[in-house]
Amino acid sequence: MGNSINGPIKVAFVGNPNCGKTTLFNAYTGANLKVANWPGVTVERKEGSAVYHGTQLTLVDLPGIYSLTSYTMEEKVSRREILDGQVDVIVNVVDASSLERNLYLTLQLLELGKPVILALNMMDIVEERGMEIDLHRMPEMLGDIPVVPVSARKRTGLEVLLHAVVHHYQEVPSEHIVHYTADIEKKIRKLIHILAKEYGEDHNILRWHAIKLLERDQAVIEEHPVDVSAVVDKNYETEIINQKFDYIDEVLADCLLHKSEKAQATDRIDRYLTHRIWGVPIFLGIMACVFLLTFTVGDFLKGGFEVGLDWFSGAARSGLEAIHASGWMISLVVDGIIAGVGGILTFLPNIFILFLALAFLEDSGYMARVAYVMDGLMGKLGLSGKAFLPMVLGFGCTVPAVMASRALEKEKDRKKTILVTPFMSCSARLPIYVLFSEMFFPGCAYVVAFSMYVLGMVMAILVALVSSRITHSRADQSLLIELPEYKTPNGRTICIYVWEKVKDYLTKAGTTIFLASIVLWFILNFNMTGMVDNVSESFGASLGHLLVPVLEPAGLGMWQIALALICGISAKEVVVSSFSVLYEITNVNSAAGMSALAGILGLSGFGSLNALALMVFCLLYVPCIATIATIKRETGSWKWTLGMVLFQLGLAWVSAVLIYQVGGLFGL
Amino acid sequence: MSLHEGKVGSSYIVKGIEIETAVARRLQSLGMVEGAVVDIINGKSNGTLIIKVRGTRFAIGRRIASAIMVKEAA
Repeated sequence: MGNSINGPIKVAFVGNPNCGKTTLFNAYTGANLKVANWPGVTVERKEGSAVYHGTQLTLVDLPGIYSLTSYTMEEKVSRREILDGQVDVIVNVVDASSLERNLYLTLQLLELGKPVILALNMMDIVEERGMEIDLHRMPEMLGDIPVVPVSARKRTGLEVLLHAVVHHYQEVPSEHIVHYTADIEKKIRKLIHILAKEYGEDHNILRWHAIKLLERDQAVIEEHPVDVSAVVDKNYETEIINQKFDYIDEVLADCLLHKSEKAQATDRIDRYLTHRIWGVPIFLGIMACVFLLTFTVGDFLKGGFEVGLDWFSGAARSGLEAIHASGWMISLVVDGIIAGVGGILTFLPNIFILFLALAFLEDSGYMARVAYVMDGLMGKLGLSGKAFLPMVLGFGCTVPAVMASRALEKEKDRKKTILVTPFMSCSARLPIYVLFSEMFFPGCAYVVAFSMYVLGMVMAILVALVSSRITHSRADQSLLIELPEYKTPNGRTICIYVWEKVKDYLTKAGTTIFLASIVLWFILNFNMTGMVDNVSESFGASLGHLLVPVLEPAGLGMWQIALALICGISAKEVVVSSFSVLYEITNVNSAAGMSALAGILGLSGFGSLNALALMVFCLLYVPCIATIATIKRETGSWKWTLGMVLFQLGLAWVSAVLIYQVGGLFGL
Repeated sequence: MSLHEGKVGSSYIVKGIEIETAVARRLQSLGMVEGAVVDIINGKSNGTLIIKVRGTRFAIGRRIASAIMVKEAA
């Protein structure tokens, strides 16, 4: 029982990848850390706190691991934290629907001689499959540790788990759980004897160290430079692993009732979704549906936003006039801020639907399959199928996509993935496509916008292909990824995911786009002499004019466009909000706003071919500031990052010029 | 024989793993050790397989599949 320990109890959440650790951690801390249904989301440790009946708890979320060896980053981080990090109690989160694999880590944790509490997660899935777990017998076979059934998704058992933590955090599991063969047990005893003599009887977890020495664990050998060659005559690792799994078989035989036949549902679904021929077309079909939904349903929902914005803009103007605000103030608020920020907000429904669909695909377990389905194609590009996951994420936002490339083992693969990820059209580029395809390609707007996504993917493929030709790198065919069982997506998980994205979007509208709109309004309304009446004399115009000759061959030779593109580097949506501010159109995403903008642009000879060149340029040119910063952080090299930015700028220019010039030849 | 030569829908017993230590360890910690039963669930023409070992499905590339030595389960 807990007596007078001052300070919070430190609780480490440890478990296999994809066992619901992070979901459980979020349920307590409300941290809303990102959860994805594929391994490797938690790379670093995360800390949160909770209170249970007046007891302070510090919760640590550790990366998912399969074992306590020290061969991967994740294992090293977790092992260091557990052994050296003053962890009071380990909460071992276990996917109860996949006990056979999960218990292997449990058995290793039990050998550490630290208090362990087993959280049987995903009990809802176990029940769904008609299985039953003997909760009385299980602790008996696992060293009498508390076993608590929970469901992080349905938020059941959460209180009980904390109760167990607070009441049992000082109870060490009984020492001998797995009994190895007589030969190995004899060697363990000898090693314990040697270690105790060398490092003292109280040198903790002697048995674990002895077992690790038998497994020839590099880190433990280095920390204990004592000659054990007489005892450890060979590497006993395989035997020890096998005997642990044998013991797991015993546990399952005793504790798991009605062992499931229903797990085959996943195999049945996989027969179609991972079909050797249909797998790829099905994936492309699903993505096409996602974008179709994004455009159609998003547009349908947009109406309400437009009415609201028109009303708000009108109200703001008359309100400011009523209090006799000065002309420049009204102009700043209405033409600068409301036009810029408000215009972007009307795209929220499209963004919402896009992320809803992506969340659904992730949570159902399909995303990990995409790695398998695309492995063949990616292999031809010199990448593993795993590299496709960051690319799909790139449809949402390039920043997390670039970070997700960490899941790749090799530095070279990571860089190549980072190089091509920005070509996947992120949600910030969506407003540009929606606006310009609807303005200049009425009737086939969806096709044109979707073709931008396809073009981005084609570019990514070409660039990856060329770069692997140059570096002579070939895929080494060593994909290794867990495919979780399919499950009905969970409403709460999806809500958290989508809300996070919507919040990001709103935050961006309130900060980056807000500031960009003000700056833009300023440089459009002032020059060295003060406020100007005619924008063509402003700072902005002079700045834009500098780039006009360069953009001329791409059909983008207008200073307004040059300026919008420069501003777009702060965030890609700003290209759209810039057009609103430049042409003082309050609701650029409404039918009236669009026809007004198309009319103005048309006067300067800007037609559908120019619009196409503009969309292509926006697709390919420099990623936004946030992405550039992330790429710098992930690659650790300014040189590489700048090289990449220049390369993409060049590629965008060449592509836009090609489209404009070749299109011109055909009289488009 | 290696798992790469195995047939979709069949079960095999692992006899050994012949690959660099880092990958071998990773496979071991997934329970892929001598004596473990592996089912081949699905396969692609480039040699990538979906396998099931100790109740969990994994997609593995051809190089890894070729390194896992197996015999047919009785």
